[in-house]
Amino acid sequence: MRARAAEILVPLAVLAAFLGTWEYAAAAGWLRPIRFPPPSRLAGSFVDLAFHGFPEGITIWVHAAITVQRILAGHALALALAIPLGLLIGSHALLDRMTAPVVAFCRSVATLSLLPLALVWFGTGEGAKIFLIGYGCFWVMLSATIAAVKLVDPVLIRAARTMDTGGWAIFLRVVLPATLPRLLSGARIALGVGFMVIVGAEMIGTIRGLGSLIMEARTFYRTDITMVGMLCIGAFGLAAMAALEWLEARLVPWQARAEAQTR
Amino acid sequence: MTRLERHAGTIGVVAFLLLWETAARLGWRNPAIMPAPSEAALAALTTIPPGVLAAHVATSLGRVLAGFALGAAAGVALGIAAGWYRPVALVCRPVVEILRPIPPLAWIPVAIVWFGLGEPSKIFVIFLGTFFPVFTAAARGMASIPPVILRAARSMDVDGLRLLAKVAVPAAMPDIATGLRIGFGLGFGVLVAAELIAAERGMGHLVMEARQLGQLGISVFGIFLIGIVNLVADHQLAAAIRRTVGRWHRF
Amino acid sequence: MAAAIEISGLAKSFAHDPGPPVLGAVDLGIEENEFVVLLGRSGCGKTTLLNLVAGLETPSAGRILVGGTPVTGPGGGKGMVFQQGALFPWLTARRNIAFAARNRGVASAEADRLADELLALVGLAGAGHKYPFELSGGMQQRVAIARALALDPKILLMDEPFGALDEITRNEMQDELLRVWAQRRKTVVFVTHSIWEGLILADRILVMAPRPGRFVLERRIDLPRPRRRSDPALIALYDEIWACLRGDA
Repeated sequence: MRARAAEILVPLAVLAAFLGTWEYAAAAGWLRPIRFPPPSRLAGSFVDLAFHGFPEGITIWVHAAITVQRILAGHALALALAIPLGLLIGSHALLDRMTAPVVAFCRSVATLSLLPLALVWFGTGEGAKIFLIGYGCFWVMLSATIAAVKLVDPVLIRAARTMDTGGWAIFLRVVLPATLPRLLSGARIALGVGFMVIVGAEMIGTIRGLGSLIMEARTFYRTDITMVGMLCIGAFGLAAMAALEWLEARLVPWQARAEAQTR
Repeated sequence: MTRLERHAGTIGVVAFLLLWETAARLGWRNPAIMPAPSEAALAALTTIPPGVLAAHVATSLGRVLAGFALGAAAGVALGIAAGWYRPVALVCRPVVEILRPIPPLAWIPVAIVWFGLGEPSKIFVIFLGTFFPVFTAAARGMASIPPVILRAARSMDVDGLRLLAKVAVPAAMPDIATGLRIGFGLGFGVLVAAELIAAERGMGHLVMEARQLGQLGISVFGIFLIGIVNLVADHQLAAAIRRTVGRWHRF
Repeated sequence: MAAAIEISGLAKSFAHDPGPPVLGAVDLGIEENEFVVLLGRSGCGKTTLLNLVAGLETPSAGRILVGGTPVTGPGGGKGMVFQQGALFPWLTARRNIAFAARNRGVASAEADRLADELLALVGLAGAGHKYPFELSGGMQQRVAIARALALDPKILLMDEPFGALDEITRNEMQDELLRVWAQRRKTVVFVTHSIWEGLILADRILVMAPRPGRFVLERRIDLPRPRRRSDPALIALYDEIWACLRGDA
């Protein structure tokens, strides 16, 4: 019981001490507020962002909604393409061998280096951002799907055969459920990549979205707004991950239990 | 293994390039918008002197190695401490857990405010990209050492710093090595973004500048260069891991 | 003969665990060079008893004397062999053994020589350069025994060392252990949940029952080794122990 209380109280105390020191250092003039705006100022900026917005009229909620929308669009598009393609490649060994180097290479291309191309192809509108997020998510998801199919335990397929199941039925009722846990964790990793990419993609040629918010704020020397924006991106990212983890626990309960047992 | 299977990878790469080349040449795409690989390579190799190209690569690699080295050192040291000593974990965890979900790129504006537009701000952002995955992996590695290993060590009367240095840290090495690879990949991705936004040299800058000058072929070449350099660097890191940790651990 | 291990009124309960103690107040004396087997189902406190003797855990009550001195922690002439997976995977077989020797202050060159000698003793001469993952389960446990011997212990504590092995390997390892034990006489406390393993190995078998962990049956086996499983005396003992174990279910 005492140990449990310490688990919660000590981190809170550490955070309080951290924020308190920062606040004090700013008040005492050791930290320049323009570079390190104190926590009290950040709280004020958050309220300001929530009601008035930055630039004027675009509240943090609008920025967040736009960013989330872009991520979801790119993520969904990537999944829709990567899962069928991955299932196909993963279940044909020769195809897998042929595509492996290309997949490895395309994954190694830092997604944001495609930004200039995306701008030429799609202009500065939504298309370029969704393309970049889609690209980042696609290769992660494709690799995850291929690996998921290849890692299906052959015993499962043999067991299904003994029950006189064949062809499509095996694919639908054995392979797909067996890959589901890895597909879901792949989708979660891809979403994380989406959050990475969006910030960079929004830093150029737009004033809406969390990425542009923090970049714009910097050009106006509003470090406080930049920091609030960063924390919001982190919070939204965390929330999205938690949502997917919840979904995972719902969709593949057997996996969660198996993991708990091996632990 | 048949001959087809043995050369499948090469065939795949060649097919990919050929497909792209024909698509571009047959004008399915406007060449000003999507240059063929051959044109891209030609454009880059004829307009940019090899020395300049090498300088771009060297600059990028220098940045990523500096940021990676700092991030890996800090991540390994703090991660080991947090995974081994509970008080350190209680102090480190809250701050790390709040900062970790923030994508490294989101630090770019603050990095510029703190360190200006020069090298330190880029290295700082790469440092962050590397630090968090390495820290997490090291802390997890320390926490998931099989208890029987630690009991065996204690039964031989090994404890204190010797237990940490001679037993716990080696036991956590596979996790730490995996964390280093992830950290390098992230650091590299962050590098390119940082160079796109503000840099006078480096591969990211090469790609961005070429577009502004309307030389899309050079942009495409630069993107290829980034992919290849990343692939080679990751391969080197993986080989180094295989030679050390891989001698006793199957990944 | 002098008592190698003397346990009196020993009890252990864990703070976070209500209910009867894991180990009730037990008394046990073990003579020098005696081979004692602790037998019982999971959760009967046999491993806890072993850990207490090893000094890896501290008793709630009672005391343990090893060679006349109270146990205050690990070390002090106690070698331990665990279930599979307790070798250090980052060290070769030779270095695993040398690690134990170096640990009691043996110089590096001497530790290497000792490691090679012990490798030969457990029948693994020439496999010293291999890492644990390159060795079969049985070979890994041979190295683990050699590692424990490298501590030059008076007593050898073995915690289900062959529990993860297949039966064929397991039988071989039992013969192997007896061969090594014949060459390097030690006091052995051996924990298992295999009745036959106990019958083949032990000078004395102690059957344990859970909650509170206690001894419910004690049998001395004076038959010469190697023993045959077809020996009527052993079969009678098997039946008796099995009845005792089944009775406390």
